[in-house]
Amino acid sequence: MPQLEQVEFFISQLFWLGVFFVILFSVLTYITLPKIRAFLNQRDDFVKSHISKQDELMKKAESIIENYEAKLTEAKNKASQIINDAKDEALHESEKLLKATEEKIQQEIKLTETRVQKEKEDALSELNTQLKNSATDFISKVTNIEKGNINL
Amino acid sequence: MAKGESPLKQFEIQPIIDINLFGLDVSFTNSALWMTITTAFILIFFTVPFLKSKKTNSVSDLYPSRMQVAAELGFSFINSLLNDTVGKEGKKYFSLVFTLFMFILFGNLFGMIPYSFTFTSHIIVTLALAMGVFIFVTVLGFVKHGVKFFSFFVIPGLPIYMLPLLIPIEIISYLSRPISLSVRLFANMLAGHTLLKVFAGFVSALGIFGILPLVFIIALTGLEILIAFLQAYVFAILTCLYINDALHLH
Repeated sequence: MPQLEQVEFFISQLFWLGVFFVILFSVLTYITLPKIRAFLNQRDDFVKSHISKQDELMKKAESIIENYEAKLTEAKNKASQIINDAKDEALHESEKLLKATEEKIQQEIKLTETRVQKEKEDALSELNTQLKNSATDFISKVTNIEKGNINL
Repeated sequence: MAKGESPLKQFEIQPIIDINLFGLDVSFTNSALWMTITTAFILIFFTVPFLKSKKTNSVSDLYPSRMQVAAELGFSFINSLLNDTVGKEGKKYFSLVFTLFMFILFGNLFGMIPYSFTFTSHIIVTLALAMGVFIFVTVLGFVKHGVKFFSFFVIPGLPIYMLPLLIPIEIISYLSRPISLSVRLFANMLAGHTLLKVFAGFVSALGIFGILPLVFIIALTGLEILIAFLQAYVFAILTCLYINDALHLH
């Protein structure tokens, strides 16, 4: 097995192992790894700053939504108030109108009734006079008494 | 593979450039070559995508490119691994675990390239890594807790007469950590590559029926890639657990 037979190269192997390991370790420790770390940190910072910014914006958006909702409920309340007012007013108005109309109708009915009464009376009195006239005519014809002398 | 060639030949170390430092032979070998390639690849893979990061603060700069996503994946993988095992204190040891994981992972993965060399298949390399982890963790424990670190070997809530039996067991299990850590990685790499090579030998030996071991090799290659990842993961997670033990004792 060359690993155990070539003892003459042990020193050489150890020497070069030491040389390259030290070179690798030093360069990695002092140049490469700090560079990688800086790069990763830069990205982490960027991501973190964006996350905090996002949180801020989220809070802002939430407050805006709250504001909007408050305003919305306020407007709704106002609207229902206006609707109620309008309803009340309309009801009031219609009642007033109804009352006025009823009164007018009542008045009309009364007026008509009196007119009808009057006409009825007129007609009756006319009938009466006509009856009287015809009766006088009849009597005068039958009795030959002057019309003017007949008084019924 | 030529006939009769040992399946272990792939693990042979071949010097490329002979170097002699203070009387020590530190030749640049094929093992060192693949360590170079691994190191270079990791550094390029993780550094280049993040090089042009001027701070313009525009949103489009924050969208990662494909390469950045890939590099980020490795970064966050180790990050969550440390977070799950050690917790917040683990951040200090991030670069250690990251380096260990990537070095072993890409060492294993590049070893899967045909004609390449797997430096993690050498016990001396894995043992060195494991010993490094072991020594680091032990020193860390002493720095954090001082002499109290020895209480790590005393299992709480145990009757006193059991202690003489259990403390040696605890100490032995603690001392065997680097061995198990290194042998696990080394043996997995060794076994996998040897098996692949043995079955590759069957392909040429069986002629037309070589199609059967060939199919097997294809499936086994997939498994080996999984193991390459898994062993790096195991090494990293055990390192994390050892760090956790050193920080919190029991």
